[in-house]
Amino acid sequence: MDTLTLILLDGIAFASWLFLVSAGLTFAYGVLRILNIAHGSLYAIGAYTGATLAGLVLHSGANPFLAYPVLVGAALLVGLALGPLLERGFLRRVYDQEEVITLLLTFAIFLILEDGMKLVWGVSPIIVAEPYALLGQLPLAGVTYPVYSFLLTGVAIVAGLALWVVIDRTRFGKLITSVIHDREISAALGVNVPRICTVAFTGAAMLAALGGAFTAPMVSVTPGISADVIVLAFAVTVIGGLGNISGGAIGALLVGLLRATAIQFFPALDLFVVYALMAVILLVRPEGLFGGVEVRRI
Amino acid sequence: MLEVGGLTVTLHGITILRSVTLTIEPGRIVGLIGRNGAGKTTTLRAIMGLTRAASGRLALEGEDLSGLPPHLRARLGIGYVPEDRRLISALSARENILVPAWAGGLADAEARLDGVYTLMPELRELAARPAALLSGGQQKLVALARSFMYGSRVLLLDEPFEGVAPPLARRLVRAVREFQEHRPGLSVLVAESEVKWVRLLTDKIYSIERGTTAEVPAPTP
Repeated sequence: MDTLTLILLDGIAFASWLFLVSAGLTFAYGVLRILNIAHGSLYAIGAYTGATLAGLVLHSGANPFLAYPVLVGAALLVGLALGPLLERGFLRRVYDQEEVITLLLTFAIFLILEDGMKLVWGVSPIIVAEPYALLGQLPLAGVTYPVYSFLLTGVAIVAGLALWVVIDRTRFGKLITSVIHDREISAALGVNVPRICTVAFTGAAMLAALGGAFTAPMVSVTPGISADVIVLAFAVTVIGGLGNISGGAIGALLVGLLRATAIQFFPALDLFVVYALMAVILLVRPEGLFGGVEVRRI
Repeated sequence: MLEVGGLTVTLHGITILRSVTLTIEPGRIVGLIGRNGAGKTTTLRAIMGLTRAASGRLALEGEDLSGLPPHLRARLGIGYVPEDRRLISALSARENILVPAWAGGLADAEARLDGVYTLMPELRELAARPAALLSGGQQKLVALARSFMYGSRVLLLDEPFEGVAPPLARRLVRAVREFQEHRPGLSVLVAESEVKWVRLLTDKIYSIERGTTAEVPAPTP
């Protein structure tokens, strides 16, 4: 019973984290049709900025609970500062190019941002664990579990709901949907596609940074965390279906529960199962679990 | 008035349009007739800004369009129906029709939609249906209705009658005619491979062959 509870709690916590780090990647792909390798760097910059700003708040003697809104603020700041810069400065120039060019460009941005982070924050680990420790542990169905993991799940749910409301329930979201499905015809219908792309990429950058900022209290923030994240986020995105956000959420839940199960029974296979699932889904359903619906041609 | 003069388009090193020249006066419906591959679709795409013109003149009421991106051309009042309808499958029929109004932030979006429903009442019943579930003919109607939302000055219709059964073709002709009655200054360009249905709409016809246009003399009564 305890094992099952642990699998569920670990699985949901890991799925929440996976959703946070992959939702922006799949959203940006849906709108821009660019697989952004630098998404991992935005996550890492979110983690560094979150850790730095939360550390400043905690050391200033202010109410330590202020650290949580500061983590959210750090993500918004990173998204607003880097999203428009990267989209307008670089990505916009390669929308009509072959995929290999866009991959090379985002890989180049990834490398530049990696070195940029070392310049700004150095190579020593940054540890700001107070926001994690502050919430304590909760006894639940026979196990004791960190409350911060539930907070992470809450943040993922709020981020997912916000994305759903914007896309499904607003006029602006309908225009985003239109661009996702057919960028060219959207432009011919009067949709300012470049503006939609900037806003969407900024939103995606915010989501990446939000994932990073809320991960920072659970880990030591060091150079190299970007690469680990982009590979996992890519796996989740492929499983759910590139560009499909609800598919990404279900993909994250599948991967989270599968990995939590593997950790309990076959710990050596914890990462293998993630990529094995991705490989099987690519073989059986290359468009991912939730491939798009096309308009009838006849 | 829409004026196109000496328009040339080159794609991947191949000249598609050599010299397209046509004039559509306000309130006029003009046909552009040519075989597949003659350059009809490229002409309409170049007017809309979806394909870049290498040279030539493109003006609406004397205002040069050539430097404008597609979304700003649309917002000048140009409605476009592409050859393959290209509805947004994830949106309903009603939402597809409203996309241009939302894109332009039009305050009277619902009033325009009501106007479109008055012209094509059958669309009211289809309003909530996802575009992915519409038949080809229903998609033609929705794509035409969508072009009406913005098309206050120019309508560009790319092969609207292609593969359409005669009753629906007659329905489309009637809808275009009635819409133009409500918009007296509207210029309409209809590209088709056959002259049959276009003759019901207009007596001014251009032919297009290998990317070059020529006005076809009106038949003597």
